[in-house]
Amino acid sequence: MYDTGKIVTGLVIFLVLISFPIWFNAAGNASANLPEPEIVTDEEQCIEDTEFMKAEHMDLLIDWRQTVVRDGIRTYVASDGRAFNMSLTGTCLSCHSNKEEFCDECHNSVGAQPNCWNCHNIPEETE
Amino acid sequence: MDKRQLQSTEDRPLYESVTTSGRNFKLALIVLGALTLWGLAAYIFQYNIGLGVTGLSRQIFWGIYITNFVFFIGISHAGTLISAILRLVKAEWRRPITRAAEMITVLVLFFGVGSILIDLGRPDRMLYLARYANFRSPLLWDVTAVAVYLTSSSLFLYLALIPDIALLRDRGGRLKWLYQMLALGWEGTERQQARLDKAIRFFSILVILVAVSVHTVVSFVFAMTIQPMWHSAIFGPYFVAGAIFSGIAALIISMYLIRKFYHLEDYLKPVHFNNLGLLLLVMALFWFYFTFAEYLTAFYGNEPLEMSIFWSKFTGQYAFFFWSMVMFCFVIPVPLLAFKQTRTITGITIASISVVIGMWLERFVIVVPTLTLQRLPAEQAFYHPTWVEFGILVGCLALFCLLYVLFTKVFPIISIWELKEGKEHKKAEVREWLRNRPPEERAELQREL
Amino acid sequence: MDTSRRNFLKLLGIAAFGFSVATRPVLNLLSRNNPARAAIGIEPTVPLAGKKWGMAIDITACLDKENCTACIDACHTVHNVPVYPNQHDEIKWIWRAPYKDVFPEAEHAFKEATVKSDTPVTVLCNHCTEPPCTVVCPTRATWKREDGIVMIDYHRCIGCRYCMAGCPYGARSFNWFDPRPYVPEINEDFPTRTRGVVEKCNFCAERLARGQQPACVEACPEALIFGDLEDPNSEINEILRTHHIIQRLPELGTGPNVFYFTRD
Repeated sequence: MYDTGKIVTGLVIFLVLISFPIWFNAAGNASANLPEPEIVTDEEQCIEDTEFMKAEHMDLLIDWRQTVVRDGIRTYVASDGRAFNMSLTGTCLSCHSNKEEFCDECHNSVGAQPNCWNCHNIPEETE
Repeated sequence: MDKRQLQSTEDRPLYESVTTSGRNFKLALIVLGALTLWGLAAYIFQYNIGLGVTGLSRQIFWGIYITNFVFFIGISHAGTLISAILRLVKAEWRRPITRAAEMITVLVLFFGVGSILIDLGRPDRMLYLARYANFRSPLLWDVTAVAVYLTSSSLFLYLALIPDIALLRDRGGRLKWLYQMLALGWEGTERQQARLDKAIRFFSILVILVAVSVHTVVSFVFAMTIQPMWHSAIFGPYFVAGAIFSGIAALIISMYLIRKFYHLEDYLKPVHFNNLGLLLLVMALFWFYFTFAEYLTAFYGNEPLEMSIFWSKFTGQYAFFFWSMVMFCFVIPVPLLAFKQTRTITGITIASISVVIGMWLERFVIVVPTLTLQRLPAEQAFYHPTWVEFGILVGCLALFCLLYVLFTKVFPIISIWELKEGKEHKKAEVREWLRNRPPEERAELQREL
Repeated sequence: MDTSRRNFLKLLGIAAFGFSVATRPVLNLLSRNNPARAAIGIEPTVPLAGKKWGMAIDITACLDKENCTACIDACHTVHNVPVYPNQHDEIKWIWRAPYKDVFPEAEHAFKEATVKSDTPVTVLCNHCTEPPCTVVCPTRATWKREDGIVMIDYHRCIGCRYCMAGCPYGARSFNWFDPRPYVPEINEDFPTRTRGVVEKCNFCAERLARGQQPACVEACPEALIFGDLEDPNSEINEILRTHHIIQRLPELGTGPNVFYFTRD
C-alpha cells in the first residue's frame, strides 16, 4: 500500500491513545481510587443482597417510582419475603442515612449524578 | 438546457447573491448576529433561573412564547400557498418567488417548534413527547402535524432546488463539493425532469393538505379547552386564514428586501407584487370576515364570561392591543391594497409590514385576555412581559433573518431553472400561436418586430 | 445497485415480518418490565378500585372565620408548598375565595340567608369524574387514578402547562422557580418538587395509603368531610343524601367530586 510508514505509525499512536485507560490504570493507580462506601446501620442485609443492590439499585428505584406513583402500590415484598414500603427517603435512607459517605462515595467516583435529590429529601444525620 | 446558456451575463444577478458579498451582507451579519446573541443570553438566563423570569403568573401562564409559536407557524403558510397552490394552478407568475416562499416555510417552522421548547418548564424532558405520547392531547396532534409539515416542506424545498444545485455545481467554485453531493447526479435529462416534475406535483398536493391540518391543529390547542373565547368552532378556519394572511405578508417583505439588496428588479417585477398584493387584500377581507363573525357571535350571545373578556378587548385592559391589531391588519393595509395608485411595490410592502405586526398582535389578543379572566371574573390578573420574553422574540426573528440571508449566499434565491423553464414554455407557446396565424397576419407581425 | 424492484419488495416484506415478530421479545429482554425481573418482588396489594374518593365542604363552618387558614396551613406544611413574595408566582393547593366567585351562577340562592356573597369558601382541585385537564396532557403526566384521585407524576411532567389551560377551576399551580429555598419548613416525609412542573392537591394520596385522613380534613374535621362516595355507610355518603348539595360549575360536565353544603 502507499504511505505504509505513515499509516502504521498513525495506527500505533491511535491504539496507544485509545487503550489509555487500560495501561494507565494497570500501572497500579486504580486501587487507590476505588470508592469505599460506609454502612452505618446494624441491619444485616439491605432489601436484597449486596451484589443485587450494587448492580440493580437504580433499576429497582425506577421500578418503585413507577409502581408507587403510577400504580398506587406501596408495598415491596423482597425475595426473602420481607415487606418494605417503597420509599427512597423513608426506607433506603432510614438505614443508609449517611448519604455523603455511602451513596455519594460511589456516585462521585463514577461521575453518576442522580437527580432524585432535587425533590426527595435527605434526612438529617442522627448521631 | 445548454450549459453555455448558463454563462450568459443576462442572468448574472441570479447568481450574484451566491458569488459576491458586499458591505450590506457584513452589516446584516453583525446586526442580526448581535440580536441573536441577545436572545440567546435571555434564554440562558431563563434556563438557569426558571420561567419565573418572564412576566407569566399562576393565572396567565401562557403569554409571548405561545404567541410567538402560533405566529411563526402561521407564517410558514407562505411557502405552501405560493409554491404549492400556484404550481398546481399553473400560474406562471409564481416562478421567481417559489424559492423564497419555500425557504421561509422551512426555516420559520423551526422557530415555531423552538418557541414551544423555550416555553417548557422542563425542556430537558422534551423527548417525553415522543416516549410517552398521549395522542388524545391536541398538543400531540400539533407535534405530529408540524413534524410531518417540516419533513414534507423540507423535501419540497430540496427537490425544487436540485436543478439549481446542479447549475452551481457545473459553474465550479469553492462550494463545488457541496453542490456535487447535493445535486444527486442531476444532468437534466428528460427522464430525470419527468421524475422531478412528478415528485414536485405530489409534494405540492401533500403540502397543501398538511399545511391546512397544521394550523387547524394549532387552533385546536385553544379551541379544545373550555376557556371562554377559546372554545369556539371558528378557530380552525380562522387560524388557517390568518396563517395564509401573515404568510403572504412575510413573503412580500422578503421579496422586497431581496429585490432591493440583490438588484433583482428585472425578475421581481411590479406584476409579482401586484398579484401578491391582491391576494393579500383578499386574505385581509377574509380575516376581517372571520374576526367580525367571531366577535359578533360573542356579543350577541351576551354570555357573562365571554362578555367580560370581550369588553376587556374592546374597552378594557387590552383595548390598545385589540384596536392596534384592527388598525394594522385591516385599516392600514386594505386601502393601500385596494387602490391602484397605492398598490405599488412600496405601498404593498408597507401594507405587508403592517399585516405582520397586526397578526402578531392578533395572536397575542387571542392568547392573553382569556387567561386574565378565565372563569374567575373577579380575579383579573395582569401580564407584564419582561426583557427576557422580548429578547427571545427579537432573537428568534433575528436568527430567522440571519439563516435566511445565509441561505441566499449558498443557493440562488430565485429558482433559475424554473425561470428558464418558464421562458421555454412561453417561447413554445408563442411559436405555436404564430404557426396558427394566417399568413397575412404573420407577415404583418414580422414587419412590426 | 442492480436489484430489481421485485427483489427489493420481497426484502421489505421479509424485514417487516421479521421486525413484527422479533421486536417484542428483544425489547422485553432489554426492558425493565421483564417478567423475570419483576418476579423478585413487587406484590400487587389490594387495588384501590372500588373506592371513589370525594369531599364534602360545609360552607357555613367558615362563617365568621375571615382569617382562619387552618386547612390551608396544614396542607401546605405537609406538602412542602413554597411561599413566594410575589403573588404572581404563588402556588396553592387549597385556598379560600369569596362565595360569589366560587359559585357565580348560584350567587342569588343564599342572598338572604346566613351565607353572604363574600363568605369565604374553601376551594381545591375537584378531582373531577371527567377531568378536562388529564385528557390534554401530552405525556399523560396527569391522569385519573382508579380510586378517583387526579394524580400528577412529577417525574414525567414537561411543564407545558396545558393542564392549567384545561382546568376551568384554576386549581393548578406551576413552579416558576426552584421551590426548595422558598419552603418555610421542609417536611421530610414528603418530597418537594423541582422547578418547571405543575402541581395541585392530590387528596393526600400518600396519607390515604397509610390509613390517615387528608391533612386539611384532619385540621378541620367540622368543615371538611372526606370519604368513599360509594360506601353507603360513610359519613360523606350520608351528608350527600341528606343535604342540599351544590358543586362548582356543574354545567361544564366535569363531574366534580368536591361537594358543598350547608348545615342548618
